[in-house]
Amino acid sequence: MEISIENSNRLLWLGRYSERVYTTLKFFADQFDAMIDGGKELYGGYTSRGDFAKKYCFDESNSSSVSFGLMRAYDNAIELRREIGSDAFSYIQMAVYEMSQAEKSEAPLLALQKVVDDIAAFWGIADDAIDDEKIRSIIKLGKRLERVDLYARLKAPDGLIRREILRLSSRLPKTGLKYHSEPLEKLLELANEEKINHQAVINEAEKILDTSIDRKL
Amino acid sequence: MSRLHYSYHMQLSFESPVKEHYFKLRCFPSSDERQKISGEHIKIFPAHFSNSERDSFGNMCIYGTALQTHSRFSVDVSGTAEINALFNVKADTNRIPVFKYETKLTTAGANIRAFHRTFPPLSYMTFYERAVFMMERLFEEFYYMPGKTGVFTTAEEAFSLGCGVCQDYAQILLTLCRIDRIPCRYVTGMIPGEGATHAWTEIYSPESSEWIAIDPTHNRKCDGTYIKISSGRDSQDCAINQGVFTGGGRQSQEIKVIVAEAF
Amino acid sequence: MTLAEDELYKHSDSVNEQLARYGVKFGIYKNGVFHEQLFPFDVIPRVIEHDEFAYLERGLKQRVKALNEFITDIYSDKKIIKDGVIAEEFVYSGSGWLIQCDGVKPPKGIYAHISGIDLVQGKDGSWYVLEDNLRIPSGASYPMTARYICRNSFPAVFERYHIENNRNYAELLSNTMEYVNTGGRSVILTPGRYNAAYFEHSYFAEQTEAPLVAGNDLIVENEHLFFIDYSGKKERVGTVYRRISDEYLDPVNFNRESLIGVPHIFDIYKKGNVALVNAPGNGVADDKGIYYFVPAMVKYYLGEEPILQNAPTYLPFYEKDMKYVLENFDRLVIKDVAEAGGYGVVFASKLTGEKKSEFIAMLKAEPRRFIAQEVIDFLDIDIYEDGKPVPRKADLRAFVLMAEEPIVWKSGLTRFSRRVDSFIVNSSQGGGFKDTWVMAE
Repeated sequence: MEISIENSNRLLWLGRYSERVYTTLKFFADQFDAMIDGGKELYGGYTSRGDFAKKYCFDESNSSSVSFGLMRAYDNAIELRREIGSDAFSYIQMAVYEMSQAEKSEAPLLALQKVVDDIAAFWGIADDAIDDEKIRSIIKLGKRLERVDLYARLKAPDGLIRREILRLSSRLPKTGLKYHSEPLEKLLELANEEKINHQAVINEAEKILDTSIDRKL
Repeated sequence: MSRLHYSYHMQLSFESPVKEHYFKLRCFPSSDERQKISGEHIKIFPAHFSNSERDSFGNMCIYGTALQTHSRFSVDVSGTAEINALFNVKADTNRIPVFKYETKLTTAGANIRAFHRTFPPLSYMTFYERAVFMMERLFEEFYYMPGKTGVFTTAEEAFSLGCGVCQDYAQILLTLCRIDRIPCRYVTGMIPGEGATHAWTEIYSPESSEWIAIDPTHNRKCDGTYIKISSGRDSQDCAINQGVFTGGGRQSQEIKVIVAEAF
Repeated sequence: MTLAEDELYKHSDSVNEQLARYGVKFGIYKNGVFHEQLFPFDVIPRVIEHDEFAYLERGLKQRVKALNEFITDIYSDKKIIKDGVIAEEFVYSGSGWLIQCDGVKPPKGIYAHISGIDLVQGKDGSWYVLEDNLRIPSGASYPMTARYICRNSFPAVFERYHIENNRNYAELLSNTMEYVNTGGRSVILTPGRYNAAYFEHSYFAEQTEAPLVAGNDLIVENEHLFFIDYSGKKERVGTVYRRISDEYLDPVNFNRESLIGVPHIFDIYKKGNVALVNAPGNGVADDKGIYYFVPAMVKYYLGEEPILQNAPTYLPFYEKDMKYVLENFDRLVIKDVAEAGGYGVVFASKLTGEKKSEFIAMLKAEPRRFIAQEVIDFLDIDIYEDGKPVPRKADLRAFVLMAEEPIVWKSGLTRFSRRVDSFIVNSSQGGGFKDTWVMAE
């Protein structure tokens, strides 16, 4: 299937944002759980669990909230109905709906579980029902890139970060996207170091894709 | 019969470089019953590619694209026109009605209508005589003054100001003619001297199925020194350049027309 | 035919949930802010019996053929004007006439590829054409998606009745695009996701597999149009099903402010190197003023009696009609020919005092701007509301697709007004929609 420049970019960001929603929600669930029996010292800058839920999850004006990420995933998905299919799209649409339900809920964790389910179902169906390998690969590459970035930011165990870097590098050639091999090689070297340098990983990962092509010339 | 050498130069300068520049130019005189063009030379720079076509008024156009980054864009056209002012341009009668109706730029407002009401009724005059009559009245009423009006000024706006340039004279006359449903058109062209392009009008004569050219700015019939470039319903139809591009900031345009007798 | 309606009612909510799940929406601007809004679906279908639809089908084909002949004539010989059938004012000072198209012949001579003809049924059962939509009519996607979902929701109903399949719309659309294709791919050009009908654009792209593109994804090089792939590969495009209006289609030929068009696309279209679906300039035939003349066009071009009738219409432009309009003012509906989407419609009976005299003065000053019509006593059809069926006004948009011959899609978009007694059924004014079932036998 032909993919326009814009849509190749949207596929990548659909992958990135869906991953961001998924991983940040998991992080939220862990934190929220700890806050139930932990002291105020676990509250960070938040005044209460409710405040934490509101700002971290539902504040769409905050670009690091879950809700913001989900809306950006939706913005990309809505323009990709042909590329990913109405069925895959419907899971993102449902996630948006469940998110708005969760905001009204007194037990947001339960309601947010449905958002996580929808994202997982979206990936499942994207993997299963999208025949075009390039389309599948670009979404997955987005997911991998985001995961490397998030895991490095959240300082996840080194083993996890190494695994994601390897997955990223094996996915890259299947996408048909133009990329720079130098930062990729550096990233693989960083993965081999005894101790992961988080900031260096974040920096190199961002440099991999070549976004400078002038398509019209 | 006169022989004139003409050269038209237009240059756009961009404050910061532009790219993906798509242009459509309408600045090429064509041969017709009145004028014969020879030795034409055209240079457009930069141009990634260009093609020619005739628009729905029969005007010669060159359209094309300059993809690469550039800070200047220029067009140079030159040639020789042999003009026989005894002849008028033949009209395609099928296309005449289009020129009877007002366009956005030639819509009569309260002031032009009031002016028109001071004229006696149309009876016993040919379209051409009527147009000449209105041209004479307009010439008494309207003053030549550059800088007061712009490319997108409507006839009504210009008339309300009381002064303007050749484009305004032409469009007000067209507006007056169209109140009487006289088919008439706007003409862009060149006249002897150095300066910018000129504009005048053509009035349809049903008696001979011809377009008769008159110049309201100078209040006269066009003679053998008028080189026609294009015609349409109004100045918009005759736009010399319709272009779009990416980037650029401010731009300035320089136009230089030279017409002189050829020996 | 009576339906097992309880079976449908039971599923009313779940069908609407499914439509929401698939993002079956339309866009609307409220106070300048864009919203995506669900298009409420009513489970009770409009049912059209086989023979009745056969009649509509004949009438619609005839009408679209005549309209296409008219557009061809208007942009070439203009015989219908010379023969005095249509007053030239309605052509040359209408908004649909595009001088740029004069003398241009589109591939295969087709101007009206996809037409949406709006019909209503009167209480006496007779059908009237209310409006011809030839520019970029939308709406087919809604009954098409609803059909899929309804079949899943109440399969037994579909088993019991023999209903014409309407899920072939994508195939009809692909054929229409292919028929005029000048060599290369077919693509769908959208103004973007903030367009009211964006769902439809994306849904058709999915269903026809034609890439959904923005102006920026296409480029004219020399005499041809190309789609640019993300790998940088350029592929020829032979048909553009454009959902962008004429004005914004090409900034070097129409509105130069347009950022959503494709520069030079019109130049190569003129040379026959790309097909534009629908053809630019075809709005000359769907102007509300021109509508009055359509039955005359059928006679003039086809030498046939028109099968479908217009709602009784008057043109105040003609003295005789003006007289009638003024004498019968209170019972007429007056429409501004420049407005669309249910706007600019005035029910004269609702005007009183100063408003009324102001309106009449305007009518007299600019007779060309208005048409007047008798108010048709619509046949109400039931919608399901608060647990019971209630009657509401509804219209039908039938779709005619032109390839070698016009084909009428055996379904249509039935829109209804949700307010009692409101005659305005447009989605932008809060109406809902129904599936339209055409019986197979």
